[in-house]
Amino acid sequence: MKTVLYSLLLVSALAAAESGTVIRKTDLRDKPFLDAKVLAPVATDTQVDIRGRKGAWMEVRLPNGQQGWIKLLNVRTSSGQTSSSAALSNVLRTGSSGKTVTTGVKGLTAEQINNASPNPAEVDRMNGYSVSGNEAKIQALNYGLKAMGVTPITPSNGNNTEEQQNPNMRRR
Amino acid sequence: MPRPVFSPDLTTLCKPMLALLMAASMGSAQAIDLNKLLSGENLNTAINILSNAGDAAKASSGNLGPEQEDALGRSVMANLLGAAPLVRDSALQRYVNQVGRWVALQSDMPNLNWRFGVIDSPNINSFAAAGGYILITRGLWDRLENEAELANVLAHEIIHVTRKHQIKAIASSKTQLASSQLISLIADYNSNKSYSKVGEKLGKAGSEIFVRGLDKNDEFEADQLGMQLAAKAGYNPYAMVSVLQLLGRVNPADSTVALMFSTHPSPQDRLNSIDSAIGDKLEPWAEGVENTARFNQVKR
Repeated sequence: MKTVLYSLLLVSALAAAESGTVIRKTDLRDKPFLDAKVLAPVATDTQVDIRGRKGAWMEVRLPNGQQGWIKLLNVRTSSGQTSSSAALSNVLRTGSSGKTVTTGVKGLTAEQINNASPNPAEVDRMNGYSVSGNEAKIQALNYGLKAMGVTPITPSNGNNTEEQQNPNMRRR
Repeated sequence: MPRPVFSPDLTTLCKPMLALLMAASMGSAQAIDLNKLLSGENLNTAINILSNAGDAAKASSGNLGPEQEDALGRSVMANLLGAAPLVRDSALQRYVNQVGRWVALQSDMPNLNWRFGVIDSPNINSFAAAGGYILITRGLWDRLENEAELANVLAHEIIHVTRKHQIKAIASSKTQLASSQLISLIADYNSNKSYSKVGEKLGKAGSEIFVRGLDKNDEFEADQLGMQLAAKAGYNPYAMVSVLQLLGRVNPADSTVALMFSTHPSPQDRLNSIDSAIGDKLEPWAEGVENTARFNQVKR
């Protein structure tokens, strides 16, 4: 009986493939490029299955089964009813004791941080793993990385307009 | 001989001013209560003194020397590592240093003594402290799918350090206790006293920001500047979007994200701000490195 329950949990975990919601009208393309062929228009609020990611693009499957690429930023994911895999594995673990199926992962809590005894020896250990800039550079080049020039983009908080931040401006 | 006319005024003025100066060092909440006791022209003087004292505290804390920043970071990290030690996997620890140091080399502080680590906690979170100390949790590491995602997470934390977001938060009015302790550290440093005595207290006070969180706008800034930093280091900057989408999928009720969600804007808000500020502007760098053989070796 238990085995059946765990199998069901595992199956539902696998079935709950990553999904997302399209937040603005866009086009489904056959390749992850702007000049790639348009396969179909995608309406706002379309639910998609996420198949993979590449660069600024996401490979998705539409509800009608059509598959292709849209921009990553056009999609938002949500937790839905599923829990994280850690919580799930914890459910399985605690479940095997036959006690409970609720999340009992003991995380790093605010309380633990507040009540911690300092461990300076561990800071020394951390220091021991550090690498020099030169070593990191040689390694990075070995793995195909190169430093790039990037035109600076000024950060901004996209969630609040100036008006929302400063109510006085509304009166103007 | 006529009595100087200002003499009595001076005496009466001195007491509230002294009280105000004490209040300023204790915290603005108390100071504001004292303000209520004052009236008329004294109130304006009081407000000036207070705002100057606040500015002075902020300015001086923003001007910590490199040794002071390292001392602050060390004490904060000692406290955090006291709550969760490093994962006992030297290949993993060396690897995150290789990636982190390379990314940091492209930052505004390439020569800082940067140190990275993975702590043994199932939580999903990452932490940075002044002086170039950066930690991510095992829970986050386990969920990262490629080196570009790791690079973007570390870049976000590197920006917190180079933009001195933590020091700003400690000195902010949100954490008055920490602020006063930071000021006492500066005083001790200036008088050449031993740092170690205040170290432990400071570690506690400094760790407060891991529990309270930084300014929300500093998180948005770290996301956006972090993506640009990752691009400079040759990685796909949009891997940050993947990380935030990953965080967006975790049930907020899950205890492994409780602390991160309580100290950061929601993943959706962070994605929205990236959407409007960055959008497609970094696409010329999107063909950057996604993954490496070294990531897969350590990940096994």
